[in-house]
Amino acid sequence: MILLVIAIPIIAGALISLIPFKERRHMEILLEILVIVNSLLVLYLLVHRPAHIVTLANFTGNLSIGFKVDGMSMVFAGLVASLWPFATLYAFEYMTKEEHEKIFFTFFTMTYGVTLGIALSANLLTMYFFYELLTLVTVPLVMHTLTREAILASRKYLYYSLGGAAFAFIGLIFIIIYGSSTDFVLGGVLDLEKIGDRTNVLLLIYVIAFMGFGVKAAVCPFNSWLPDAGVAPTPVTALLHAVAVVKSGAFAIMRLTYYSFGTTFLKGTWAQTTVMLVVMFTIVYGCSRGVKETHLKRRLAYSTISNLSYILFGVTIMTPLGMVGALTHLVFHAMMKISSFFCAGAVMHQSGKHYVHELDGMGYKMPRVFGIFTVSSLALMGVPGFAGFVSKWNLATAAVESGNGIAYGGIACLLVSALLTAIYMLTIVVRAFFPGKDFDMETLSGIKDPNWKMLVPLFVFTINMIMLGLWSAPFVNFFADVAAGVY
Amino acid sequence: MYYIILSILFPVLSGICLLVRKEMKNRRNLLWTTGILLTITGVLVMLSLYTWQGGMLALFNLTPRLPILFKIDEVSVIFAVMAVIIFLCAGFFSFVYMKHEDKEKRYYGFYLIVFGVLLALCFAGNLITFYLFFEMLTLVSMPLVLHSGTREAIMAGLKYLFYSLSGAYLALFGLYFIERYGNTLTFSPGGVISSQTAAGYGAMLLGIAFAMLIGFGVKAGMFPMHAWLLAAHPVAPAPASAVLSAVIAKAGVLAVVRVVYYIFGASFLRGTWVQKTWMALTLITILMGSVLAYREPVLKKRLAYSTVSQVSYILFGLSVMNTDALTGGFLHVLCHGFIKAGLFLCAGAIIYKTGKTRVEEFRGVGKEMPILMWCYTVLSLGLIGIPPMCGFVSKWYLAKGALASALPGFWWIGPVILLVSALLTAGYLLPVTIRGFFPGADYEYNALEKKEPSWLMMVPVLILTVLSVAIGLVPNELIDYLWQMIEKVL
Repeated sequence: MILLVIAIPIIAGALISLIPFKERRHMEILLEILVIVNSLLVLYLLVHRPAHIVTLANFTGNLSIGFKVDGMSMVFAGLVASLWPFATLYAFEYMTKEEHEKIFFTFFTMTYGVTLGIALSANLLTMYFFYELLTLVTVPLVMHTLTREAILASRKYLYYSLGGAAFAFIGLIFIIIYGSSTDFVLGGVLDLEKIGDRTNVLLLIYVIAFMGFGVKAAVCPFNSWLPDAGVAPTPVTALLHAVAVVKSGAFAIMRLTYYSFGTTFLKGTWAQTTVMLVVMFTIVYGCSRGVKETHLKRRLAYSTISNLSYILFGVTIMTPLGMVGALTHLVFHAMMKISSFFCAGAVMHQSGKHYVHELDGMGYKMPRVFGIFTVSSLALMGVPGFAGFVSKWNLATAAVESGNGIAYGGIACLLVSALLTAIYMLTIVVRAFFPGKDFDMETLSGIKDPNWKMLVPLFVFTINMIMLGLWSAPFVNFFADVAAGVY
Repeated sequence: MYYIILSILFPVLSGICLLVRKEMKNRRNLLWTTGILLTITGVLVMLSLYTWQGGMLALFNLTPRLPILFKIDEVSVIFAVMAVIIFLCAGFFSFVYMKHEDKEKRYYGFYLIVFGVLLALCFAGNLITFYLFFEMLTLVSMPLVLHSGTREAIMAGLKYLFYSLSGAYLALFGLYFIERYGNTLTFSPGGVISSQTAAGYGAMLLGIAFAMLIGFGVKAGMFPMHAWLLAAHPVAPAPASAVLSAVIAKAGVLAVVRVVYYIFGASFLRGTWVQKTWMALTLITILMGSVLAYREPVLKKRLAYSTVSQVSYILFGLSVMNTDALTGGFLHVLCHGFIKAGLFLCAGAIIYKTGKTRVEEFRGVGKEMPILMWCYTVLSLGLIGIPPMCGFVSKWYLAKGALASALPGFWWIGPVILLVSALLTAGYLLPVTIRGFFPGADYEYNALEKKEPSWLMMVPVLILTVLSVAIGLVPNELIDYLWQMIEKVL
């Protein structure tokens, strides 16, 4: 069953380019059904979890490719499975204006399987394998438009990701040597007797591996690939570069911290301080760059950089509550950011406008899209009543609870970043709805809201953002169980 | 009991409906609709105050430990009654005033929403509910500021937004800590700081308290975060400025009251560096606001500067933390609310009728519209604090409280600054009256035409004037009521 959900999208993706479809509609229907079925299978799998590890292949010693469903997998796989069908639906409409659709959908669907592979891996080696694979299947998506800019961006993406993975690999080796196994166990697998007096070496390795996986999570100074990769079609930017790929990075770091090295080993050391300072810097840095940026999608990409570091900040607090905060933001940010990216995509699709200063008065022409954009802005800012507030609340209270002085500084970073978020998001909203007295509406004639394929995903995400903001108790309780190791 | 929910939801929802629905063909329909909606809201508020039986009204939980709950106590009553009176007066005033502005429907829509959110602030029963509506208030009142759509207005709107948000986030920073070191987030007279968990963290909590004071003080225009008020209040349409200055700035005061007396507790802060620094800041603001107002030629801006100064009178009273000063502070909440709303409406009526905005242009205005100018004069005297106007009573108690304060230095500096500022207040308000009524010998009386505004503009101004005088003449009932409340919190 686990193997099936990973295999279906990969095989389906490969087959799409082989089957000669008579009409575009047929491909759309087939693909959508496949994705929905696969998502339903994933959800079924999460409810009826297999108790043991499914091993695919055994290498020498205790190295193996294996899968299992634990708490973290449930969160990430559930998130990916619920977002993918909507993103696919949106992509159908968006891609009508782009070429080489088949190639696009091939890799887009394959990525689904690979991401699930990361979510469901049972050990560090398997995760590493899918992590590398993820880079490879997403490069063609970034390159999609085949402009010079896109090729350069994808090359950058490739080098950054592979470089990061190489550093992460170092961490993997050390876990193999100094750990009891590479399996993910909440609390870590390090064998203190083997380490002896080499604690500092291990801590250094942790920092290296953190930064290695951090490349995908766009930790400063390894973040510049993400805004550049925004040249990809919007469904890719929205789903992969706001959720699947970058969150794989954050997910990997969570696995590394809580399940391989273990918080008891790391907490209170210089390694914790170092990584916490790095993510705190990234939080503020990403937002400040977002404020300066005038290209709409790049601005959102910088916002992603900052928000990913919110998640990592939760991770670096290294308490169960910190993990709850990180998981909450992992899920909630996905909703908020995919929604704002989809709005940006809808604007580009309907009007061809790419820059913030072109958006004057657009709120009157595309009221639904900009209404939703406003909601996602408020959510990202963390206005109470929307999803962002809850995740920020969980992160900040975890930081207060930890009693760590640097974490207090982290709260300040979160709030500074919230203010900057307000600046870069609300200036867009104000422009769109209050274009000023002398603005000539005629210049926008002919622009209107997109059709249902784009609006349905947007509405679903909006309802989610508000629901999660008002009534998050079931989710937060579930995350608390995950962090306590119930699953 | 559920009238509370209604009185909050009704204006918000009806405002949203107004915003969403298509442009009405007939202006009269729009005015009738808005007028009726405003009145119903007022009635609902009165009903909810009247039928309240104590206790709390918990709605649901944002996260497992964050309930949204409402309750009504004496502070809520004072602020809610003031909000209703001023919102209704300014609302009916705008029916005439807004004739010369565009996009009226949008204005009334947001006006109603702001009304609802403000009432929610008055009725909020715990800090998280309060914070929720505090942020909402900023977001929904911004469209009132940038209504005219000029570049200046939009910039002022954004400035307002970002100042207020940074204040709110500073307060949120404290909120996270209170969640940890307090027994509960529910407002309780005397404070909620838990003596067990907070033991040993006193110094840190004082810092937190200071951050929250500065943060919430932004809305009240307290130095050093006052700059937005000077930009934002004058650019809004006059009735909106009235509401912004008289009520919305008071949301900051309400926040400070809640934080100081219902979260930290007066005994926790009394005598600490936080109290001293805070008091110093309010005194600086009082003086600075008055001086700036004295130098400002445009009437609406002058009134905005005056708001900065007068709201800090209230904050000063709160910072002294004794019965008399608190009485003075709360009296000044009502007093300044009615007076400043009235003054802004007067300024609006002058702009509407004559198009004049600068004080030196006001020659003979009093001859053209005598009733309005008389109202203006009475209101001004009230703000200056001439007995028996209400400003005198509130400032009397403020000064009395300050003199009784045990803080070295402050006990005499405070009253001195109050007096100096009162002089300046006379200096910046009365020239309008003087120019208006005594245009000088070379004034062309033959060219004089009567420009008295219509009754729809006059009646709100008159009501506010009468109220401000009434508080001054018969303050004792009110003071008794205030003492009941103050007894609980001190």
